[in-house]
Amino acid sequence: MSKSILVTRPDHDLITKYFYIWSQEIVDLAKSKNIEVYDLKGKKSNEKEFISYMSIHCPSIVFLNGHGSANIFTGYDNQPIIDSDSILKDAIIYARSCEVGQNLGFKLIKNGAKTFIGYKRKFFCGYTPEKITKPLEDNIAGLFLKPSNLVVSTLLKNNNAEEAHNRSRGQMYKNFRRMVSSTATFEEWRTHFRWVFYLFI
Amino acid sequence: MNDKKENSIEDIILDPELSEQLKNLVLERVSIMPDTLRMSVGSDELTKNDVLKHVKEGDDIGNQIMEMELGFLRDLASGAVYSYE
Repeated sequence: MSKSILVTRPDHDLITKYFYIWSQEIVDLAKSKNIEVYDLKGKKSNEKEFISYMSIHCPSIVFLNGHGSANIFTGYDNQPIIDSDSILKDAIIYARSCEVGQNLGFKLIKNGAKTFIGYKRKFFCGYTPEKITKPLEDNIAGLFLKPSNLVVSTLLKNNNAEEAHNRSRGQMYKNFRRMVSSTATFEEWRTHFRWVFYLFI
Repeated sequence: MNDKKENSIEDIILDPELSEQLKNLVLERVSIMPDTLRMSVGSDELTKNDVLKHVKEGDDIGNQIMEMELGFLRDLASGAVYSYE
């Protein structure tokens, strides 16, 4: 299995738009490393395309952006694309989604995935209302999404899943220490966004 | 010797009296956050008032917020926040 990455990034509501925009740096990083990218963006983030790409290309890394629950991961317009019968054979999966770590992650491993990194609880993401048309300039959202992106960028740099998880958490701790220090912006300091901190542990 | 056993976060959430104390603490701490606070949780976009409402109602989101807040306070008190490298 050669190194390749499949990314799902629907953009049908506010948070998926944020995921879509912030995932671009991962797509760009993969391309810069000559890693094949299968980019299921927008409406392409649907079950038919997903199954087709998975079965034909067998990507080694699968980066899922979207909404989810304990047993379902969804794509564009919240249509299900992965359930507990899905097979993502030998893939390292990172799901930026609510709750799929509760049960779906385990099922995917049982069905042949190599590794699953995801969240057992709801995924919280702070944002700045004035920046919703420019998500990349949203520093508050960045506090959540940069460490999240670090999971995938670490994998793309040939590190294992444990290292990816640890680096992401480490970035969270660093962010938090900065937020409570004198170098934080006023908004960051007031908010602290300590929940950022605890989302990832 | 201090034999006091620290309750797990789950124990606290499930204990009515402790949960109520935690809820009040969280409500106070959230209330001083900026009014411009916005959080996306799943498909929902929450304002500060929405967050307060979830905590008051003690629903899934409210409980998760309380757990996160408690975890933070414990790690702050123990110094664990600053010890991770």
